[in-house]
Amino acid sequence: MKSHKQILKNSSDVIQTDGKIDRRAFFRKTGAISAIAAASVVAPSVLQASQDDPNIMHHPQWGQIWGDPVSENLYGLPSAYEHNNTRRYTKLLASGNYRAAIAVTPIHESEGIITPNGLFFSRSHGGTAHIDPNKWRLMINGLVEKPIVLTLEQLKRYPRVTRTHFIECPANGGQEWRRPQYNSLQFAKGFMSCAEWTGVYIKTILKDLGLKPTAKWMLAEGSDNSEMGRSVPVEKVLDDAMLVWGQNGEALRPEQGYPVRLLLPGWEGNLCVKWVKRLEFSDEPWYAKEETSKYTALKPNGKAVQHFYANEVNSTVVIPSPEKPWTSIKEGDEVEIEGLAWSGMGTITRVDLSFDGGNNYVKANLKGLILPKCWTRWSYMYTIPKGFKNKDGKQIILTSRAMDDAGFVQPSVDQEIFGYGVAKEDYGKDKDKGMGVESVYHRNAIESWEVSENGEVNHVQIRTI
Amino acid sequence: MFKLELYKTLAATLLATTMLTGIAQAQESDTAAYNGLWNAKKDISGGVHYPFKDGKTGPYVLNPQVYEDSDISKGKDGLKKGFNNGRLATSNELQAWDKDIRPDGIGLPEGSGYVDEGEALYEAKCMSCHGDFGSGGGGYPALAAGKAKEIKRMLKNNRWLNPTAEGPTRVIGSYWPYASTLFWYIRDAMPHPKSKVLSNDETYSLVAYMLYINNMKVKGEIVNETFKLDREKFLQIEMPNKNGFIPYIDGSDGIENIRTFFQNAQNFGGIRLAKGEEPCMQNCQQTDNIVRLNGGITDFEPAMSVERNLPQKVEAVSFDPKAAYDNNCAMCHETGVAPPAGNKVKWTPYLKKGLAAVLQSAINGTENGMPPKGGSSLSDDEFKQVVEFMVK
Repeated sequence: MKSHKQILKNSSDVIQTDGKIDRRAFFRKTGAISAIAAASVVAPSVLQASQDDPNIMHHPQWGQIWGDPVSENLYGLPSAYEHNNTRRYTKLLASGNYRAAIAVTPIHESEGIITPNGLFFSRSHGGTAHIDPNKWRLMINGLVEKPIVLTLEQLKRYPRVTRTHFIECPANGGQEWRRPQYNSLQFAKGFMSCAEWTGVYIKTILKDLGLKPTAKWMLAEGSDNSEMGRSVPVEKVLDDAMLVWGQNGEALRPEQGYPVRLLLPGWEGNLCVKWVKRLEFSDEPWYAKEETSKYTALKPNGKAVQHFYANEVNSTVVIPSPEKPWTSIKEGDEVEIEGLAWSGMGTITRVDLSFDGGNNYVKANLKGLILPKCWTRWSYMYTIPKGFKNKDGKQIILTSRAMDDAGFVQPSVDQEIFGYGVAKEDYGKDKDKGMGVESVYHRNAIESWEVSENGEVNHVQIRTI
Repeated sequence: MFKLELYKTLAATLLATTMLTGIAQAQESDTAAYNGLWNAKKDISGGVHYPFKDGKTGPYVLNPQVYEDSDISKGKDGLKKGFNNGRLATSNELQAWDKDIRPDGIGLPEGSGYVDEGEALYEAKCMSCHGDFGSGGGGYPALAAGKAKEIKRMLKNNRWLNPTAEGPTRVIGSYWPYASTLFWYIRDAMPHPKSKVLSNDETYSLVAYMLYINNMKVKGEIVNETFKLDREKFLQIEMPNKNGFIPYIDGSDGIENIRTFFQNAQNFGGIRLAKGEEPCMQNCQQTDNIVRLNGGITDFEPAMSVERNLPQKVEAVSFDPKAAYDNNCAMCHETGVAPPAGNKVKWTPYLKKGLAAVLQSAINGTENGMPPKGGSSLSDDEFKQVVEFMVK
């Protein structure tokens, strides 16, 4: 198979040998044409021949010469022009050599509710393990009558189920408790992705193993060098917990735990142990490293929330976003504001949209499939006002707020920090109320984009302190 | 349709039938959208539980040959039958993999180690990442920050009223609730470049050293350089922040404590509306203060771009070994952990076996804490140039 780079190189050769089109000039021209078309008062016949689009007037090379034979790219790759649609990482969120680190999903380029496997966010505690599926084994032991070992082939004999769920790192947005940090949707909200998973309900495997009544907890342990482990209540295991090997119609990618990972629908990504090798049942929880020293949310009273399972209801405006601004949009244009909503507590029931940073809301519209513990798309049609300003003369600030069928609604920044229903003059007085700003994890306050006079979109927070 | 079916399955008793005639109506009445089941059988995470019912779970259809109605509160898992796949684990296999360690001492092996042994091991295998006395750095976590009990008080340093104040410090001594985690993690996941190489005795000595640098006591005894840690003493370690976590998950009430905790949204900064309660739609904010980015974090790799173009051809830049050294090696080699670049005296003992041997160790990593290629992603050829630069 050709590498991405080789293909890019060839394509670029093709462009460079095509000397007929001065690319700069043609961008200038198309810009002028768009401006005229946008005015939309000029009849087509009035346009001069000089305004003809060379993209229409000249045969593009791809329309004349052979394309690739089908023997090329037997595992298909994105168009070379899509090379900027990629995971990204930053030094801030990494050990020195990027082995305990995260690469985040370009949410701003996301389409629909499925993240392509190559763009699914990647988080590991000791690097991406590369496992030989023939040598992979799963052990299930502890408080079961019959401790067993399974090969991958044996695991795949169980009846399969396929479910579409998001997985979210609970540190999604976690760098922004004290102020906005990223002028980027990818980094502000991209510690998550959504996929269709195929595997087996763990309870199907347990049925014949004889789970003992004293079993209250399950340890899931990874086979990577960090042996990432987490304690899971048996109740969740007997509900919808899965061992999955399929992701969007193919095998899991190594970054997602190939050949098998744990999937606890709706619960924090860290619990969905990758490269899983062992499940043990016990009467008490374990206190693994990533459920005490990390993945615990420190509150103002000095206590930290542990075993903080579900990712709470959340949402964001995707179009526009800092990466996808409204700089080519003008007054009077009718545009679709589109976004994502998700909840690990249940199913999205409603999304509201604000143009003033969450002070006043209108109802937005859900669209497409609306599934439990899954990304849900929402939309609102909007006519752009002059200068991207509200009637009071202030710049638009787009803020979305989602609700789920468990009755949860996203808090404002102040509400999450100081507590719901606390008056401004009482902020910080009751240390048992609110999450404060040191939690790192499970931040789900509303997110705001301020639109500048020329259509740029900037990340802001509406907050008292 | 999915949404409609979901309501049918889960919420029929709560929703008037007129609301079930179409998606539009269902959306209009969405604040009545509780499926009610979190009240009937409260989900442990505070969310909604979707049982197997009438051949479905939520919107998903189930194979009726395999599944039936479930009711977790009554122990009905919704499975009609099981399958005998795989084989029994042997006792040797169980011994090889079942190595977890719990706070109550289950899984903790016999063995012992001294603080000073731990210190020597730490300096050889751990300090290159975790720094002097566990001070951390280079993206690797700090392990200590002074006297554990005093540092623990800082956990109340919440910067919610003063963003520029000093925040909390979460290190082993001030934050971790149990020492069992320490033993388990060090033995099975450290050293990071190559884990599972430490013996139980070595692990005891490293745990002892961790207690030492965190200025801790074990049952009144100050952990000093000559302190010896064994299994019996280990089980007497009481971490200062043992009671610093909520909800309380241990014991027979643990599971129900969690369930109760997550039923109250105030416990975790959430808002749960009462059934039928509308969310605020007007004048919802108590402030109009806009906090904008102040520079922010911008060192994204690759740099942010949404252009649809062909990637620029990367000009062949000449490789700069010194720059590579500064980026990948200086953290240890310029801080006294390992011989610095250009220091012939310090390199002499290493070069006794020849440059090829040094290069081989550097590429593959060593037992003494040198990670393979220093943890860099340089090619073999580039890395060779760096080594040659260093020993010059």
